[in-house]
Amino acid sequence: MGVVVKKVELSWLDRTYVWPVMKGMGITLRHFFRQLFTPTAKRYTIQYPDMKKEMPEGYRGLHELKRFEDGAIKCVACFMCQEACPARCISIEAEEFSELNITQGFEEKRPAKFSIDMLRCIYCGMCEEACPKDAIWLRKDYEVAAYDRLAMQYGKWDLMNTYAKADGKENISGDPTPSVPRRTIAM
Amino acid sequence: MFITFALITLLGALGMLLQKNVVVAGLCMVAAFFGVAGLFVLLANPVAAALQIIVYTGAIMVLVLFVIMMLSSHQEEEAAVSHPVQRWLSVALLAVLAFGAVNLVLASPGVKALAVKGAEMPQAMTLQTVGTNLFADHLLGFEVAGLVLLAAMIGAVALTKRNL
Amino acid sequence: MDKLASLLHTSPATAWMVAKLVIVFGGVFSLAALWTWVERRGAAMIQDRIGPNRAALFGKIKIIGLAQPLADGIKFFFKEDLVPHDANKALFWLAPFLALVPALMGFAVIPFGRSFVSGGHEYHLALLDPGNGMGLLYPLAIGGMAVYGVLVAAWSSNNKWSILGGMRSSATMVSYEIGMSLAVVTIFMTAGGYDPSEVIKAQGHLPWAWNVVRQPLGFIVFFTCMFAETNRLPFDFAEGESEIVAGFNVEYGSMKFSLLALSEYCHLMTASALIATLYFGGWQVPFVQNPSVLLSVASFLVKMLFFAWVFVWIRWTLPRFRYDQLMHLGWKAMLPMSMVNLVFHAWRMSQGH
Repeated sequence: MGVVVKKVELSWLDRTYVWPVMKGMGITLRHFFRQLFTPTAKRYTIQYPDMKKEMPEGYRGLHELKRFEDGAIKCVACFMCQEACPARCISIEAEEFSELNITQGFEEKRPAKFSIDMLRCIYCGMCEEACPKDAIWLRKDYEVAAYDRLAMQYGKWDLMNTYAKADGKENISGDPTPSVPRRTIAM
Repeated sequence: MFITFALITLLGALGMLLQKNVVVAGLCMVAAFFGVAGLFVLLANPVAAALQIIVYTGAIMVLVLFVIMMLSSHQEEEAAVSHPVQRWLSVALLAVLAFGAVNLVLASPGVKALAVKGAEMPQAMTLQTVGTNLFADHLLGFEVAGLVLLAAMIGAVALTKRNL
Repeated sequence: MDKLASLLHTSPATAWMVAKLVIVFGGVFSLAALWTWVERRGAAMIQDRIGPNRAALFGKIKIIGLAQPLADGIKFFFKEDLVPHDANKALFWLAPFLALVPALMGFAVIPFGRSFVSGGHEYHLALLDPGNGMGLLYPLAIGGMAVYGVLVAAWSSNNKWSILGGMRSSATMVSYEIGMSLAVVTIFMTAGGYDPSEVIKAQGHLPWAWNVVRQPLGFIVFFTCMFAETNRLPFDFAEGESEIVAGFNVEYGSMKFSLLALSEYCHLMTASALIATLYFGGWQVPFVQNPSVLLSVASFLVKMLFFAWVFVWIRWTLPRFRYDQLMHLGWKAMLPMSMVNLVFHAWRMSQGH
């Protein structure tokens, strides 16, 4: 069944073409002045290096490896994220870790190396979903760029420090040795 | 000034004759028209100069070039056989014609009158004088010319458009 | 002026002529360059964007992006200058100049301020003094020459799309020239002269005596034709991103392209100056009988720049025409309208008004 297209009958004023043109020019002029007198902060355009867009909740940006309050890594090197990763960009090397003070005779696992290839990562958030310990999550930083490929291989310490500045934490570059046993720290 | 404009005119005309490329020839003709317009200005007749540019370079040559581009053949092919006899004949004819024309101009009463009057500059031509000349003194000629042009236009349409 | 002339060992007339040359050509050229920025900024504002505002002098002084034309110029100078292999080399080089020279020359006859007397000399604020016999025929003639820049550029680059663009634009210019000329002729008739100073004098200083009020139909026709003559949107048929790649300047790059682009803006300046002169009283200041010279120049500049802005404004308001619509409008609307305008005013004059 065809659709009957109604032809619009133009009034004589519209058919002169002059009046509609003037109406259109009025509209554009209104936009012009409105934009001209809007302060820069309120315009639609975000002038990127000077202004940055506040990302919405749930945005999946650069990863962070979470730490405990004492600074130790939450990751237990279970390889779940590596398995879940569709882009295969996560590679983990686990190590055993036992120290009488902290682990109280138990053997614990932790990553010796934890690297994400940011060139391969598709920021899908599957690692965050897969993680049983809530040790990895994707946050709001979207400025992931570097001058060479090697710099895009984020290692363990890079990933732990990605949001250190934004959260007001200290940068760490070595596993801290906490004084209290791990068990006593609330998860 | 005169020599510049005369050179532009002559070189344009020569270029138009000698160029193999049609479009370039057309542009040479434009240059020649421009030179002629300059000569008109020197003859204290700026109106004729302006009209020359408006009508000839601005309208007619544009249309001619337009048609050339539409039919667009970039390079004319060389003639298969050269005809030296024709060439010499044409040169001789041209010489005779040029000689006759120069003689005619030199023998015309206008030049003699100019020699008598000397450096008395003619009044600059204005649009008003052109208007009065056309519509008061030469009204009949003007109307006849208009009629002829109209007839030519209708004839052209009738010839080219078979089914009106 | 006399002092300056004696300093340079020339007569005041020569010094004045040189000064005028520099002012007019330099002024028009730099205004045209500036207008590339105005156009981009205006377009951005109309579309609720921001536009070029980052170009800064010495990397520091960011005057709302006003350094943009400068940066563009430098960029154009340092780009590779490519001439296509099968192009007609000589004409390819010639075309940008053929486009630019008429665009700049058209301004010569327009008076941009009141004539004044100083030290026994009368100084006219126009390159060609009034009474030169050419009058307003001159910009019309030069406007006719403007086709050649486009046409030669189009043909010499030996590209079928550029040829199409050139042909379209030349057809447009030729057909709109007639309507425009008839509108101008009406003004000659009512003003009783064809010198721009006479036209301005005939309009007087009262806004309701200006030609735009007396001949609104002629104004509409002339204004529309000016868009076609300057190849601006909505009639920009020399170009056309969607149908003929880029139009007559496809093969052009670097400084040659920028000359072609600048010539369009020079045309725009000349066209708006013409509109101001013919229909808005030129340098006349509304309600001021005998304005001072500076005031008259300022008035002219305001009018001219306003119309240059209207060109930009219209460009970002109206959609483009289709080619047959354009020809339809040119021959079946503009030409009869200016004819009616002419006949009506001739009749009024014969009635003794």
